Amino acid sequence: IPPLTYKVVAECSVTKARAGLMSLRHSDVNTPVFMPVGTQGTMKGLLPDQLIELNCQILLGNTYHLGLRPGIETLRKAGGLHKFMGWPRAILTDSGGFQMVSLLQLAEIDEKGVNFRSPFDNSECMLTPEHSIQIQNAIGADIMMQLDDVVKTTTTGPRVEEAMERTIRWVDRCIKAHDRDDDQSLFPIVQGGLDIPLRHRCVSALMERQVRGFAVGGLSGGESKHDFWRMVHVCTDRLPRDKPRYLMGVGFAADLVVCVALGIDMFDCVFPTRTARFGCALVDSGQLNLKQQKYKNDMEVIDKDCDCSTCKRYSRSYLHHIATNECVSSSLLSIHNVAYQLRLMRTMQEAIQRDEFPQFVKDFMARHFQTEPIPEWIREALAAVKIELPKDDATDATKEAKKRTTTS
Amino acid sequence: MKFLVENINKNSGRLGLLDLKAAGGGIQLKTPLLMQTTKGGSIPYLSADLFENYVQNKNGQEPVPVLLQLTLSTMQQMAESLALWPASLSHYLGFPGQGNVLLLRDPCESTPSGGNDRDVAPIFTRQGKESLTPERYMEIIASFKPDIYQGLCDADTNLESSKKRVQKSVDRTERFMDYIYEQHGKLQSTSSSLLAPIVGGYNIFARTQSIKHARQQPEGKYSGYILEGFHNNGLSATALDGSQLLPIVEHCVKQLEENKIKMMPGAYSPLIILELIHIGVDVFDTSYAYCAAVNFKALVFNYDEKSIEPRPTPFLDITDEAIKEEFVPLLDNCKCLTCQKHTRAYVHHLYKTNELLGPILLMIHNLHHFMGFFETIRSSIAQDKLPKLIDLVCKQNGDSKVDYSIEKNVKVISKAVVGKGFETTTES
Ligand SMILES: [Zn+2]
Ligand SMILES: [Zn+2]
Repeated sequence: IPPLTYKVVAECSVTKARAGLMSLRHSDVNTPVFMPVGTQGTMKGLLPDQLIELNCQILLGNTYHLGLRPGIETLRKAGGLHKFMGWPRAILTDSGGFQMVSLLQLAEIDEKGVNFRSPFDNSECMLTPEHSIQIQNAIGADIMMQLDDVVKTTTTGPRVEEAMERTIRWVDRCIKAHDRDDDQSLFPIVQGGLDIPLRHRCVSALMERQVRGFAVGGLSGGESKHDFWRMVHVCTDRLPRDKPRYLMGVGFAADLVVCVALGIDMFDCVFPTRTARFGCALVDSGQLNLKQQKYKNDMEVIDKDCDCSTCKRYSRSYLHHIATNECVSSSLLSIHNVAYQLRLMRTMQEAIQRDEFPQFVKDFMARHFQTEPIPEWIREALAAVKIELPKDDATDATKEAKKRTTTS
Repeated sequence: MKFLVENINKNSGRLGLLDLKAAGGGIQLKTPLLMQTTKGGSIPYLSADLFENYVQNKNGQEPVPVLLQLTLSTMQQMAESLALWPASLSHYLGFPGQGNVLLLRDPCESTPSGGNDRDVAPIFTRQGKESLTPERYMEIIASFKPDIYQGLCDADTNLESSKKRVQKSVDRTERFMDYIYEQHGKLQSTSSSLLAPIVGGYNIFARTQSIKHARQQPEGKYSGYILEGFHNNGLSATALDGSQLLPIVEHCVKQLEENKIKMMPGAYSPLIILELIHIGVDVFDTSYAYCAAVNFKALVFNYDEKSIEPRPTPFLDITDEAIKEEFVPLLDNCKCLTCQKHTRAYVHHLYKTNELLGPILLMIHNLHHFMGFFETIRSSIAQDKLPKLIDLVCKQNGDSKVDYSIEKNVKVISKAVVGKGFETTTES
């Protein structure tokens, strides 16, 4: 059996959304799926058992961090990351390249790989495509990413094309270096900046390779939302129907809903756990900043429809007092926030299977944008997949929102 | 609250049963009892759900009920909210049905000295020092409605305190308590039980005076005793010298009403705890397990009488580079979740990466180990074998006394110990 099989279970009759089943060596994964980020071989403050209780099927680990600590020798001796961290279900690892470019100021890219100075002893190091795969083979994740040439999304000109072409050259080096193709699946990454013809060329080239799924990269890094959704749209238009599509680094609830409508199957983001550390809880209408005084004597739970262990036991009032003060608050809010993201994805899977996804999208947007108008980019993106959201009553507010998105 | 001494044994101390009616349904707790120490009302690092499902409730057995040790210095800011909260205090903290005791000071952290003026007691909160008048204290008690609370006292003494300082702590405590005894009867929630504070440092005369004041009170004014003023909390308690502490505690216990419960909060070492139980103290807390965990020490001291293997150190040092690739449990044969599912190597990795799961896994193990220790203590007393257990804990099957004091972990994460992962590629 191949290490990854993907089956479309249901397709929305209106949008490009689809529900699928991805079978991996360590677990089945129902898509569309949100993957919580466990950077250093742990999900911030949560036990593997608690993640399983939340029905989390797949986690993301960061190759850059794991390569430094515990390092590949220890990971090999441990028998891979699953055993090392005691997580029996699926794992996906990134290539390490993006982490370097975003975390390290000194990273430089040439044809060989990514040059950087070690943050620990300042020695010169290089991450090549081969080496990224070598570490990812030691980690043993069910899905691995190719090393890609990452440029800022706001970059324009020949550098964007060079990065796209290099990414294609690098995927071949990654495929060649990959030692464990029977256990682990390597995903190439679609690059091409905000340039539609480049994106098309990249998709076509990558589709010529023997791969089991695709990632869409180079987005969600400061580009306008208008460009963002359009790039996702042109990629999913051309990517093959029978393989999973992963949009890297996307995780705000509204973005998830829009991108599922555009035909994306997999997402990851640090946002739910990061915002938890600052005392914020995710709800359909946005997020509650529990540090605010108005929650001091609020005896309700975060969300009475949430069945997570935090909402079963704790009031907003108690959480207000301990948020950011006691370490346990970050575990409590992370549990709720991860539960929220996973439930949102399950609800979408079910809506797609019942072929009620367009109605779900309309209801969700109405709940999510109660106090502010629905951003114009969301209207445009959804209109592109034939969902027309009802017009806002307050037309002035809509104009205001339009102004804001175009200037951002 | 009712306390019943079930069994007094000349060689081994006593067993008792604490009956708490206030916790809603009512719970029964066996003494010697280990309270769960908390910060801000939560067991440090552990959600209530995690604690109940993975620490308290093991192997499908009926879970043993819990007495939460709450501290005003970490919860004082909740008073206004608690006045509005319709259910029990434990319920507010995510532990419906469990019992609670409200104390003044956090035994996990060292309490700064000073701030004791004539009419106020200091509490040291996250926001800084606050002065508590007896009036304000009783208002807070009325808002919190704890199952048990301690009387207001000046316990800012230790082995070094001067005679004058010790005398002051006794006098000031008497003044506080005259008011508290008077107000206690007027509390709306008459279900809160009061513990009489006994202070006086290491001075026999002062302790006697403090005890006299409590014993002068009419029958039923208070339900038990809390003995304080021996240390300033935090790690200082782990290093106390038994030869200084035990005689003064024994002096107190002998003069206190026998059928009343006796509590001594603080991170006393396992050996001192055994000696105190031997003398007749009934209630302790888990701050020792916490202090070990936050200083990256896993408790591995032996209390299994069947063991014969010597264990010269009661701790496994998680920061030790030697365990980097030890893919074995923290402690052989330990049944806790950490040891069942994770390895020394992994907990070491979590320490190095400064990840929140590190202290979580250490707390799970240390609490499990300490709770098992107390189960063993109770069965040893029942079999009148406490002296044997004391000997085992003292020498750990070796020839000399084992050192149980916890030192601050001052190691910083070394930059040289990161994996060789990336360096190997520079050639390729
Ligand atoms: Zn929840
Ligand atoms: Zn253990």
